[in-house]
Amino acid sequence: MLSAVLVVPLVAAAVLVAARRLPDRAVRAFATVAAAVPLALLVVAWIRFQPAGPRFQLVEDLSWIPSLGVGWRLGVDGIALAVATMSALVFAAAAAYPVDTKGRARQYYAWLLFLEGVSLGVFLALDLLLFYVFFDLGLVGMFFLIGRWGHGDARRAAIKFFLYTLAGSLTMLLAILALYLASDPHTFDMRVLIARQPLAGTGLAAGLALLGLLFGLGIKTPVVPFHTWLPPAHVDAPGPASAILAGVLLKMGTYGLIRIPYSMMRATFQRWSFWLGVVGLVSVLYGALVALAQRNLKRRIAYTSVNHMGYVVLGIAAAAGLPGGGGAARRLALTGATVEMVAHGLITGSLFLIAGSFWTRGREYDLDAYGGLGGRAPVLTAATTLAAFASLGLPGLAGFVAEIQIFLGTFGVYPWLAGLALLGVLITAALFLLMLRDLFFGDLPARWSDFPDLSASERTVLGVLLGLVVLIGLYPRFLLAVIDAGSSFLVGGP
Amino acid sequence: MVAAAAGPGRVREAGARRRLTGMLGTVGMGAAAVLAAVAAVRGWHGTVPWDGGLGLGLDYATSTSPVAALFAVLVPAVAAPVLAYAAAHEDARGLPRLVALLSLSVAAMEVIAGASGLLALMLGWELIGACSAALVAHGWRRRPASRAGVAVFLTTRTGDLGLFVAAMAAFGGAGSLSYAALGDLRGTALQLVAGGLLVAAAAKSAQVPFAPWLFSAMEGPVSVSTLLHAATMVASGAFLLIRLHPILARVPWFGPAALAVGLATALSAGIVGVLQPHAKRLLAGSTSAQYGLMFAAVGAGYPVVAALHLVTHALAKAPLFLVSGLGEAWSGSYGLREMKMGRALPLVAGASAVVAAAIGGVPPLGAAWTKEQVVAAAGRAGPWIASIAALAGGLSAAYMARFQFQAFARGPEAPAGRRPRPAERWALYVLVAASASLGLLWAAGLHDRAARLLGGGLAVSRPWEVAASLGLVAVGLAVGLAVARLRPELGESGAAEALAAWLGLPALARLAVVRPVRGLSSVLAEVDDRVVDGGVRVSAAIARGLSDLGRRVAEVVADGVPEGLARLTGRLGARTRRLQSGLAHEYYRLMIVGLALFLLLLFALFPGG
Repeated sequence: MLSAVLVVPLVAAAVLVAARRLPDRAVRAFATVAAAVPLALLVVAWIRFQPAGPRFQLVEDLSWIPSLGVGWRLGVDGIALAVATMSALVFAAAAAYPVDTKGRARQYYAWLLFLEGVSLGVFLALDLLLFYVFFDLGLVGMFFLIGRWGHGDARRAAIKFFLYTLAGSLTMLLAILALYLASDPHTFDMRVLIARQPLAGTGLAAGLALLGLLFGLGIKTPVVPFHTWLPPAHVDAPGPASAILAGVLLKMGTYGLIRIPYSMMRATFQRWSFWLGVVGLVSVLYGALVALAQRNLKRRIAYTSVNHMGYVVLGIAAAAGLPGGGGAARRLALTGATVEMVAHGLITGSLFLIAGSFWTRGREYDLDAYGGLGGRAPVLTAATTLAAFASLGLPGLAGFVAEIQIFLGTFGVYPWLAGLALLGVLITAALFLLMLRDLFFGDLPARWSDFPDLSASERTVLGVLLGLVVLIGLYPRFLLAVIDAGSSFLVGGP
Repeated sequence: MVAAAAGPGRVREAGARRRLTGMLGTVGMGAAAVLAAVAAVRGWHGTVPWDGGLGLGLDYATSTSPVAALFAVLVPAVAAPVLAYAAAHEDARGLPRLVALLSLSVAAMEVIAGASGLLALMLGWELIGACSAALVAHGWRRRPASRAGVAVFLTTRTGDLGLFVAAMAAFGGAGSLSYAALGDLRGTALQLVAGGLLVAAAAKSAQVPFAPWLFSAMEGPVSVSTLLHAATMVASGAFLLIRLHPILARVPWFGPAALAVGLATALSAGIVGVLQPHAKRLLAGSTSAQYGLMFAAVGAGYPVVAALHLVTHALAKAPLFLVSGLGEAWSGSYGLREMKMGRALPLVAGASAVVAAAIGGVPPLGAAWTKEQVVAAAGRAGPWIASIAALAGGLSAAYMARFQFQAFARGPEAPAGRRPRPAERWALYVLVAASASLGLLWAAGLHDRAARLLGGGLAVSRPWEVAASLGLVAVGLAVGLAVARLRPELGESGAAEALAAWLGLPALARLAVVRPVRGLSSVLAEVDDRVVDGGVRVSAAIARGLSDLGRRVAEVVADGVPEGLARLTGRLGARTRRLQSGLAHEYYRLMIVGLALFLLLLFALFPGG
């Protein structure tokens, strides 16, 4: 079944490439349905998933290149299932959200579906080479979405994004090959690599491999100081592509952290986890402070991604610290980090879709150009306010569920890092409130006197995403049960 | 649990029609109060489990905490007349939103009242902060209103970090966030919990140094201020300390710290109140001061005294704000000097006098008795402490006298604005009647009974304390009358004006916190653009240089691998246009070159292969 999750959007992409005569409206409808199929399949997978069962479930294992130990291996644990399902939802939302396709709707939606297939592949792969291939193909899909359908200096931003993350993924490849070569017999099977911990006790080699992985995944996440590709990529990308970039592609970095170094080189990862936590803390504070100074709507949201992904990294680092102790706290930190991935996908995805709505209406991201829209566009105001408060971590919404677990868990491992990270909560509150004030309060400039409110399709998409944000905020149990099944295996013990 | 949900939602459908909105709001609040009472008697409780020992727990049983049950009934009971007043008084534009948000803030308070753990507390705690900020920014078209909303949320959220610290320490120490588990804490974890909760409570209850947010909050409509001060956001801080006193009291320094914060606020806010010529700000100063007295009572070890003062204050402060709103409708300004309602509105004047006297500490009113109790409680901590509390009581008398005599002065050129509407008047009278009935607390049998019900002890007053305290009230009344009659413009200009603006604290906050943070943020943004991203650009340039060098070296060495390296780095650096055109094959060429390099390195590292 998991194969269908990848194959359906890829086939649909191919169909779109071939179907030359389809009118734009039909293309969008087709793409939305095709993008929703993986979501439906993953919901079925969710229902069939047994939290009390084995670590990897719904496994598919087909021999592919046996001599190299490569296989078509797919499967999910609780963490992968949660992140993949969220990603599928973000893709479906991005496909359904209205956007200016510049007269090339077919190509746009084909790339979107291609990107969906390969992105979900990253989260579902149980084969390290498959993971890497999907990881890099994701770059290609996003490169074209930004470069061809972006605005402003879109090509430059796309190339910067591409080369920067490609540089990272090459060092990652080195580390992956190191893991492969150190395993005996050579295999890319993640389950075997997790069980064998091939690089344990190799000293320098393990350190270098970890460095390669952290560099590659850190660029993707992104952590400070490897984050400067993110703001231009976001600013110049079309809204739905931004939502995918923030909601799905950034998760590949932190998901990769959990899946590869955390799982496959535990001892080495543990040794360096404090410093990884420091990097997370720096991202939290630096991202929030720099975001506060941005006057461009999308740059501001982009830098809050640096802040939020910093929390994820902090949680993962804490989950790896304290060998042999603090099981409950470490598990909470890892569960919280995963919830943050899901919450950030939904919340920041919504915020970028909203930013896209601002662009389609006003061709303008400058906060100073807006104001007073509260009376003109009340639904847009309400949706943005809800998303902003969710992002700043208001209790009762999904962001808080994630952050409080990260804080509580991290405090048990690195109390000072957790205490300092609290300051980020305050700065994000400031930057979102000021953003809301600039957009919606005060006087309405004359040029926006006929600014339209959200359309029906925009309302539906945002309604679903933000409805989930509220549901997770109040009753996160359905999500936590699945994620916790994954983190309990990773942390070990109850 | 239902009580929490009863408030909001009902009003949403109300449409723009005032009467329907008001009725729905008032009936909704009445229903919430009744439900809260039923919940208290029946002992309703429940938990929405999360995971890993976390869960949102609510418990309204009187047997768990009689103070919580009382508070759960008090908040909607005060809110009911206030909503009726709001529907009659406020601008028709945005009225449904206003009433809905006020109801939502009552629901948030019900969550705080019933919370049986820190997680549910945080939910209500931040929700009330967000609601209050939205309410303060109700007139969002005006710049000062939206600015004030931001200030309110950020100041109180600064204090909320204390709650986060408390939660982290509690989970670290006890593995749970439920109040029941807090009892097992000891050592550093317990101290962090106590310190964090004290900071969070001080921010919400507008104690120093957080107090000035309450002045910003005055940008909100008058019904918002009324509910905020009497029963919702500001009350939540004092309530929290009362509710968790058994745990907090185990920390030796907690009592002195709460006493110090409370009395420092009571004195400084009292002075600010006396100097204020603006009706709402005077009342705001008074609010900080009165909650300061409650903090002092908790610090002295008498949480029940604080709880009773919370009730008497709520029922007296709410009508005073309603009066200030009537004064604004009458004179078009919150300036006390302009109101001059004396001759025109004698009944309102009489009602106002009752509650002003209550806050001023004049017997036989209920708030006067609870204030004497606070002085007596402070006396257990030492005679000096009692004297400070009594002095704060004298200041209360002074600012309340100034308020009453100035607002209801009988000037010759009295304004003739809008007269109170029936709903406004009745809301006022109902609250004043309730406040006056609390005078029964002076009866020994009744107050002992009340204390027994609330499960705590009262303080025994010493004769000299009562005498000193009442003497200071008399002096205060005289001072207030003198200001009203002889210096009615006090605080409108000069040094008094500067002091009346919260003793310069807001300017200090701007100078010491807001400016540095914004400065740091813009410096970092600059650094981010120039240096961090610049580093990437510079390394690209260096790579390009190396690639040129490499090419020349390559000619000499004539080796394929350095050539590949140079080409690779050259590509990275140059961002060549060619990459756009022939992307796919460039991409794979890069990969293959890289791959070859890595494989080489790997085989070097693992000779066995």
